[in-house]
Amino acid sequence: MLNILKTRIKEGIKVRKINIKDIKKDNIVIFNEELRNKLLNKSENRHFINNISIRLVDSGSCNACLHELSALTNPYYDMERFGFKFVAAPKHADVLMVAGCVTRNMYSALMKTYENIPNPKFVVAIGDCAIDGGEFKDSYATLGGIKDKLRVDILIKGCPPEPIDILSGLLLAFGKPIK
Amino acid sequence: MENKSVNKQDDKSVNKSGIKSLNKTDFIKNLDNDIVNIINEHFFNRDNELVIKINPEDLKKICLYFFKDLKFYLLSAFAADESKDGGNNFKIRYIFSHSSMDLFIIVETYASADGIFPSLSADMPVLNWYEREIKDLFGLIPEGHPDPRPLMLFPENYPQDTNKNNEINSQYSSDSASCHPLRKDYPSGLRPEFKKYGEYNYNKDVKGDGVFNILVGPVHAGIIEPGHFRFCMSGEPILQLEIRHFWKHRGIEKIAEGKTIDEALSLAEKISGDHCVAHSLAFLSAAEKILDIKISDRGLYLRTIYAELERLLCNINDFAWLFQDVGYSFGAQETFVLKEDIMELNKYLSGSRFNKGVLSLGGINACGDIDELKKKILTEKLSDFKKRYLNLKKALLNSSTIQERFEETGYINKETALDLCALGLAARASGVASDTRKEHSYLIYDKLHFNSKVLKNKDVFARLLIRFYDIEESFSIITQCLNELHAEGTQTSLNDADINIKKYKLNAAILTSTETGVNTAGNNSNNAVFWGLGYCESQRGNIMHFVELDERAKILRWKIRDPSFHNWQLIEFAVIGDIIADFPIVNKSLNLSYAGNDL
Repeated sequence: MLNILKTRIKEGIKVRKINIKDIKKDNIVIFNEELRNKLLNKSENRHFINNISIRLVDSGSCNACLHELSALTNPYYDMERFGFKFVAAPKHADVLMVAGCVTRNMYSALMKTYENIPNPKFVVAIGDCAIDGGEFKDSYATLGGIKDKLRVDILIKGCPPEPIDILSGLLLAFGKPIK
Repeated sequence: MENKSVNKQDDKSVNKSGIKSLNKTDFIKNLDNDIVNIINEHFFNRDNELVIKINPEDLKKICLYFFKDLKFYLLSAFAADESKDGGNNFKIRYIFSHSSMDLFIIVETYASADGIFPSLSADMPVLNWYEREIKDLFGLIPEGHPDPRPLMLFPENYPQDTNKNNEINSQYSSDSASCHPLRKDYPSGLRPEFKKYGEYNYNKDVKGDGVFNILVGPVHAGIIEPGHFRFCMSGEPILQLEIRHFWKHRGIEKIAEGKTIDEALSLAEKISGDHCVAHSLAFLSAAEKILDIKISDRGLYLRTIYAELERLLCNINDFAWLFQDVGYSFGAQETFVLKEDIMELNKYLSGSRFNKGVLSLGGINACGDIDELKKKILTEKLSDFKKRYLNLKKALLNSSTIQERFEETGYINKETALDLCALGLAARASGVASDTRKEHSYLIYDKLHFNSKVLKNKDVFARLLIRFYDIEESFSIITQCLNELHAEGTQTSLNDADINIKKYKLNAAILTSTETGVNTAGNNSNNAVFWGLGYCESQRGNIMHFVELDERAKILRWKIRDPSFHNWQLIEFAVIGDIIADFPIVNKSLNLSYAGNDL
């Protein structure tokens, strides 16, 4: 343990600086452009800025997206410094994050989670197959993606999207306005 | 419970007395006479694939002979629909393997005309899920199955057969009363009407004063894949656990039908995202065997490096989660930093943090080539990683509070591991040798020096120690491969692979003319079909793919079996008697894939 501490002191803090102006915007699609302008700037909703609780539902991903999402909490990305956190219960959440296509078996669990998130709520889709099912859209076992089931506010593309893209997407939508 | 024989030598001696010789060519001759007599036909499909054709009424005798008497273990069991117009022809295959012989035995039988085949689950518990899977996807009835509930097609969401009469040529439509998607007459993309069809029946639960149930899932409280668990509790200890999986059943095997190998390769990477290299490797090795494509030495070494990098990454990840689950955040975050560094190394090497898209038919894509500069950086990084890993390992082994949680938690007895055919590290921590790299050497593992450690402590700590051995072996294997990579004879590779692929693309009819494939459709060469086994040792254990191509080199049947499919059933036994707070540790000590299990 002392060895680890020694290296830590020598190497310094690992947290990576994120420069929101440089992010690759083509990986992030914000469907709901008024999201920031109307909702977040309303005085009663301004508390959402940099203060978002996320409930993740994996409705049929291949688990690569989940690896990248759990990387968000590691010391490199440390998303809690921006006020984003994963919460255990939908009742505590502001955002429903969906990874993967929607399988028949997961549909009702996904919908129940969405219904239990208090208003106002947002939906963030993670990965290429979340929006329309990707390669699984024509399968007997899926219902495509969440596109025609829920109103998707943000889509973060990639297979899987890298943690830096996910974090940038969240910051673009829910972070402080860029000056 | 005492384990009588724990290492390979003991197993071997037992088998030598069972089979007179381990010689592959005389294998059939050395079997018992009454077994040889009921074999209809046998031939070698490839060097190590022995096909034995039998009648369904002899199935139980043959399978139990291999499983119980000769100590073979089951690697996969699946059906295939080979019906022609108006006919009803379902083949069922069981793949057996042995820990001390490079031989796969493929027992091939068929379902009767009314769609019934004998169930062996009562004698071979590992077949429980396999037979229910066949029942769901093909509508064949395993006669005498002790637990014939639906498995992956949930009774809530899919129409269930009400009559046992299997009409093969019934027209499927969205409102038909049955759904057996892997039948060839089931149209691809057809979805049964989405409505509530029925209710799920739990297994019998424990009754008594003070016994209560805890239901967990499918949506969990963290970043975890969906699965449903029912614990029967009395106070803190768990009396019974029922696992309900297949929430993420995506129907990969049906989607793949009719696709080309390149299209299917993209699906193979999505079977289980963290094991994308292992699954593509298994799929490609099957396809390459069928198409008779040889891979250059350099391609083999590069594939080994990527396979071992993946093993390293997954083991480090599991190591971190074990720290996290006992509340040792400091160690966990340090290990997550190490994991992130490995993923960034992956990105540097191949452009993808999971090494997606590196493997291709015939070798390695250009993005995955390792030149002198990459080799230098890889070597430097690995020695740095190893140093940091050893520090973390020391921190863990010096902490008695952490070890106290791991030791004597989550026992998997050797008998359970053998009955359920545990694979990979779950088996090796319970005294059962299971490592495909040693048993059925592929790539260049026969040229490399590495050990596959077997421990008999059977608890969470034993599985953690096996991970440590695996991590150290991975470091050593990558170093060995890197040393060979730029030696003589391994320098020109990628071009060879390209040539092979061109050859395959030029002449898709290569299959019908080549003699290496085996015509399983009988003498009718117009309907020639070709199949092969693809396998590899992933970080979780053996991955087995069965690939069957048609004459245009498109997928006819692709059975995927992730090690999680076997090992999930172990957890039901591993947690009994432990307190519920230990369940996450037992779960993480195996760290199984939900996606690979559900398909």
